[in-house]
Parts: sequence; structure tokens; C-alpha cells
Amino acid sequence: MRFRFCGDLDCPDWVLAEISTLAKISSVKLKLICGQVLKDLQGEGIDYEKILKLTSDAKFESGDVKATIAVLSFILSSAAKHSVDSDSLSSELQQLGLPKEHATGLCRSYEEKQSPLQDSLRARSLRLNRLDSVSWRVDHTLSSSELQQVNEPLVHLKFTVRDGDRGVTEPFAMTVSAEKFRVLLAELRQAHAMMKTLS
Amino acid sequence: MLLVLSEEHKEHLGFLTQVDSAVVGEFGRIAVEFLRKGTNPKIYEGAARKLNVSSDIIQHGVEGLTYLLTEGSKLMISEIDFQDSVLVLGFSEELNKLLLQLYLDNRKEIRSILSELAPKLPSYHSLEWRLDVQLASRSLRQQIKPAVTVKLHLDQNEDQTTKILQTDPATLLHLIQQLEQALGEMKTNHCRRIVRNIK
Repeated sequence: MRFRFCGDLDCPDWVLAEISTLAKISSVKLKLICGQVLKDLQGEGIDYEKILKLTSDAKFESGDVKATIAVLSFILSSAAKHSVDSDSLSSELQQLGLPKEHATGLCRSYEEKQSPLQDSLRARSLRLNRLDSVSWRVDHTLSSSELQQVNEPLVHLKFTVRDGDRGVTEPFAMTVSAEKFRVLLAELRQAHAMMKTLS
Repeated sequence: MLLVLSEEHKEHLGFLTQVDSAVVGEFGRIAVEFLRKGTNPKIYEGAARKLNVSSDIIQHGVEGLTYLLTEGSKLMISEIDFQDSVLVLGFSEELNKLLLQLYLDNRKEIRSILSELAPKLPSYHSLEWRLDVQLASRSLRQQIKPAVTVKLHLDQNEDQTTKILQTDPATLLHLIQQLEQALGEMKTNHCRRIVRNIK
């Protein structure tokens, strides 16, 4: 069976298996656990103690608690990844066997946080390097060992590049003569105009 | 298969006859603990003070015991062979039984620790990908060139490295096809026969 929240593919077996674990918690507690999982997906860290407290009524072992967090993370991030609206998500979860109140509660938490979640997923997408900052300086060369009167302007450019992997910044400096700089600026302006037409 | 112990080794283990079996049991526990987590020289000092001998002798005794256990576990020698190897040392019946029990209890765990010491190639950790379309470049405007950028995260002995690759969709499809063919090899009769024999 194809599910939209799994990207029009079959639902993974382990998710099917853990739906019954989710049904053991009350729907109110499930909504609170969803809130914690959503915070974790947005990079704000997870309060494991709180989740342990919420699942203590259902007498979960530590394996069950981890399975609950894993299955909720998968459902919520997968639904956000494929931009599934909360009604479709609710009906698909009910098809998988999640009771109605649980599915409604889960989808309500999802709906509230769908946009911020998608924004944080977008920010986490693969990026190689990015430009952190640019600094420049214009000099005027007066004379050199080759020619006594040079009188030419010169631009020093320093790009600070942030490495995608390690997050460290590296400076990258170069000098550009006036003509080359004019060409560079014209080309970049054209690229910028093209970006503007797209966004 | 018998374990052949060097003279030095027998001398180190000779210390064990001078203490009572509770202490030997304790040494055995310390030896296994060291195999699990690494050595802690402070324990030698404490034991040396309690037994009134120099800490060197304690260290040799524990190390001799560790070596006996690891060699036995490595070669997976049977009970009888282990007993015969230990007989050479001329220990009391009780001590022999204790050493045998120590060997049998911890053999499986020591083997799993030893299996982690084998050399390993970098292994797959995770994969990030991104689909881009190149619309224009400095030399050519109005293009449509899709490209998939892949960041492969590799793991080698707790060392994480990444490899960045880029491909066009046609090559990616070919890659997927080749990998599926490789997976399909497991279902051929030849592989099935080998797997059945290993089990």
C-alpha cells in the first residue's frame, strides 16, 4: 500500500510494528511527546526525562520508549519532507491502525509546527561551502620596481568561507585590477538579476 | 590444541599459588575488567598494599592471567585442553578449577572484544543528497542541466570522513541498477549454497 507520508512508497515494517506501541499511551500524553519530538527535530534538543515520565504510566521498557521516539520522529519528519497536509496524515495513520484520537492529536501538533519544521529541514539540507563575509580595500599603486610611475588602483578582496563539513571559517584573499574587477562586477550583477527573476 | 606458556609467563603466574583462591578470583575479575575498559595502574597499588608485595608482582600476575585468557579465547581451546595447559603450571586442584571456570565464563565476551581489533575499511555511516538544476553559467544562458550532489559519510574506527560526489541523473540510474544487481546476486543458487554451508 502506498502512503503519501512515506513518499508514495510502502510504509516500513518497523513503523507498522510500533504503531501498536503508540496506541498504548493515552492520546493526551502522545500529543505532549510529539511536542518534545518536534523540538528535537528542530534542533532544540530533547528532554528524555520528561518523555520517560510521560510513558511511565504505560509501563514502557527503555526499548519501547526509544521505539516511540524513533517512530514519531520518522512520521513527523517524513510528513514534513513530503509536505503532507495534516488531514491526509491523520487518515493515513488511521489506515495503519492508530486510533482516531491519537491520530488527531498527533496531526494537530504536526499542523502547528509544520512550517517551522520545514524551515529547519530546509536549513539542514546539503550545502557545500557558504560565504560568511566579504571585506575589501582599494589601494592605489604609486610605483614599483619595474616602472617608476604606475598610478593604478587595485582592489583587495577577502572572502571568509565557511566549510560545510567542519563549520570552520577560512579566509580567501585576492587582489584584482580595475578592469578585471569591472568584468567580475558586471558578471555578478547579471547572475544576481537572474536569481531575482527566479525568486 | 595446547597452550604453550613461556618460562617468564609461568613465573608470573607462579605468584597465584601464594595467595588464596578468593584473591585469585578477584584477580580474574580485574583481568576481565581491564580487557573491557583498559588498565588502571592504581588498582595494582591498592592490591599490593593489601597483600604486602610489590605492585610489579601484582601487575605480572594480572597480566599473566589476562594473557592466558586471551590466548585461550583466541584459539577457542576446549575445556580439556585448557585444563591440560594449566596443569603444566603445577597449581592446586582448586586453583585449576577456578581458572577453568574463569575461562569458560568469560570466553564469549573476550572473543567479541578481540573481534573488534581486526583491521577495518571505512564503512558507510550516512548519505545526504541534493538535486539541483543548472540554469545558466557565465558562458551559456538558458540551460537546463540537472545534477545530483551526494555527500557520503564514512566511519573508520571512530574517524568520520566525508566524500562529496556529483553526478547527472542518467549515471545515477545506472548506479542504482548496478547496486540492485549486486543485491540480486545474493539470491542466486551459488550464493545460497555458500550461505547455507556457513550457517
